[in-house]
Amino acid sequence: MFAKDLIDLSSFSLGELESILERAAFYREETGRRTFRVLEGHNITVSFWEHSTRTRLSFELAIKELGGRVVGYYPETASEQKGETMEDTVKTLISLGSSAVVFRHSLPGLFHRLAQKVEVPFISAGEGCYQHPTQTLLDIFTMRQAGFDLQGLKVLMVGDILHSRVARSHMCALPLFGVEVAFAAPPPLLPDGMVPPGATCYRNLEEALPWADVVYLLRVQKERQEQGLVPSLGEYAALFGLNLAGLSRVKSGTCFMHPGPINPGVEISHEALRALENVAPERVLFRKQVKNGLYVRMAVLDLLVGSG
Amino acid sequence: MKVLIKGCFLCDPCSGWEGPAEILVKEGKIEAVAPSIEGVDAPVMDIKGCYVFPGLVDMHVHLREPGGESKETVFTGCAAAVAGGFASVACMPNTSPPLDRKETMLYVQQRAASAGLARVYPIGALTKELRGLEPAPLWELAREGARGFSDDGRPVKDGGVLYKIMQWASLLGLPVISHCEELSLSAGGAVHAGPCGYRMGLPVIPSCSEAVIVARELLLNREVKGKLHLAHISCKESVELLGWARERGIDFTAEVTPHHLLLTEEAVESFNTDAKMNPPLRSPEDRDSLLQALRDGLINIIATDHAPHTSWEKEKDFLNAPFGVVGLETALPLLWTELVEKKLLSPLELAGLMSLNPAKALGVPGGTLAPGSPADLVVVDANRESEVAPEKFFSRGRNTPFKGWKVKGLPVLTMVEGDVKMYEGLVKGFSENFPSPAELFSEAGGS
Repeated sequence: MFAKDLIDLSSFSLGELESILERAAFYREETGRRTFRVLEGHNITVSFWEHSTRTRLSFELAIKELGGRVVGYYPETASEQKGETMEDTVKTLISLGSSAVVFRHSLPGLFHRLAQKVEVPFISAGEGCYQHPTQTLLDIFTMRQAGFDLQGLKVLMVGDILHSRVARSHMCALPLFGVEVAFAAPPPLLPDGMVPPGATCYRNLEEALPWADVVYLLRVQKERQEQGLVPSLGEYAALFGLNLAGLSRVKSGTCFMHPGPINPGVEISHEALRALENVAPERVLFRKQVKNGLYVRMAVLDLLVGSG
Repeated sequence: MKVLIKGCFLCDPCSGWEGPAEILVKEGKIEAVAPSIEGVDAPVMDIKGCYVFPGLVDMHVHLREPGGESKETVFTGCAAAVAGGFASVACMPNTSPPLDRKETMLYVQQRAASAGLARVYPIGALTKELRGLEPAPLWELAREGARGFSDDGRPVKDGGVLYKIMQWASLLGLPVISHCEELSLSAGGAVHAGPCGYRMGLPVIPSCSEAVIVARELLLNREVKGKLHLAHISCKESVELLGWARERGIDFTAEVTPHHLLLTEEAVESFNTDAKMNPPLRSPEDRDSLLQALRDGLINIIATDHAPHTSWEKEKDFLNAPFGVVGLETALPLLWTELVEKKLLSPLELAGLMSLNPAKALGVPGGTLAPGSPADLVVVDANRESEVAPEKFFSRGRNTPFKGWKVKGLPVLTMVEGDVKMYEGLVKGFSENFPSPAELFSEAGGS
């Protein structure tokens, strides 16, 4: 029923995505109440070639919760490869006896190539600027949990869209659920040519905020300043950071999301973050996103690797 | 040695003659062309109504030798050339070591002479080591056979350096062939700045990175008044600039590749490295504008930018796989099928774009079937159908995005200087059962 791999969300139907979410809801209910054996006897290779805290921990915990064993390989950088091709590295890892591979790497397109060469399920935990499928699934799950009806929901994505694998996964999946997506970003971080047909691109955050039911902030890395894509993070924050003035413009029920880790003072000001956490903690979904990551990844592993 | 080719449908872009004819070849030259040639005692070949073009001329080929022999050699590249109907190729200097010194310049020509297939015209480097800093020894390279100068694969970044080189090249009467790319705008890019590239999360090469250098070269040549040739034009912005230059009488020639005429950025979807080339495949509007420029004469040359790579290099992930596609063995049938059959170009126009115009831009023989000219010709079977099959290429490169395309208009015979180099897919000195002259031409000569 399911595709072998989870790399590109556009290769999944709405029905398939719904069944993952349904399974995730099951795990949210049942985790902690009982023991699962879905992955009993399975070794799952987890290999991260980029730094990660939450995604890696979340996948590892999901594997353990399902009764499987983590075979972890975490080179500090890709330069540790020492001339071996990526294909050889992956095949070596799998030859130790793996039922699936969970992989993170900085090169877009790498996983399509590797997945063709290995027989076990290949699960993306973030692939360069290409896609981050489980993040999108957990975000959809979190929006629903916050009480939103996805049909007609207005999600505003703010920040470094160009370099965001999360944004690309969202663009694949959110429209399937009837979600309307708009963007707020400066041209170097969202060129006109990247805006999907029909979507609105705001070049001013203040103007965009009243539209949104969900404000989805993306991390803006220091590297973008070094590349000259933004004159400085301060300039970025002045025009596209969420601040107290911005908060006064959102609708009363608007929720805030972020894939983490947050740069306080850049995508959201310290004052705005404090105000939100003090005044309306239920509208800040950051922690819920992290927690739901576990259930969604359990669901993915179950359906792709376990008996399903 | 004389031979009479009967049953030709002649397409001579130089004279404009298009129609049934017979061609008498004598001692490597065209002796006579006429509707009917009587009373000649010569072996005869009847090609039964096939088209005859002048031998094709490809002014943009990477033969990879010296240094890149796992990708291609002069021998395999020349075999691919005659297999594709090309009698002449100009090879780019980005070899290792490059064609920036007489030793490599002579080496390539020796290899070409011993291959004995296509004519090979080396292009010399513009700058030493292709680094864009100091001029290469242009006069010396010209003396040793260079037919033009280029740092192809990269631009000369410094406009001041290029300006002086263009002036010097103009003294020698040879073209400067520019790879138009502003590296600060394209740096690190792998695909066109369009919906597909953005969807794939790949760094992009925007059209303006090409157009700003096209503008610079045109403005420089407005002053220098030398021979300027713009390689592999890929976007509508560049075409607009060519129109601007034409209106002002600025001298230039420009080429487009078959892949930029036939494909768009969608070919790289799902990270197909066989469609990764520089400049990248662009939008449908860009492609339409290139075709229109060809019909308007703003772009007057089709060149393949034949860029062979090994399969193991192309099997890398998209960002690390090299740029380039092969083209010698597919250009003619693809363009025949997609442009001539669809009435976008006439056979005579295609023949001009692929033989006469590049020959003129390089200042080399070719592009004509007039009596007295070298007997370089290709016989094209308009009706025979085939499929692009990379595993059958003579080139060592199999990197084509056209695999499996159904094509017509196959080259079935390539003659260079009166000698048959390719017949029915067999290449002289390469294919074991290549026919002897006696098998090719019936001795029942005359009429």
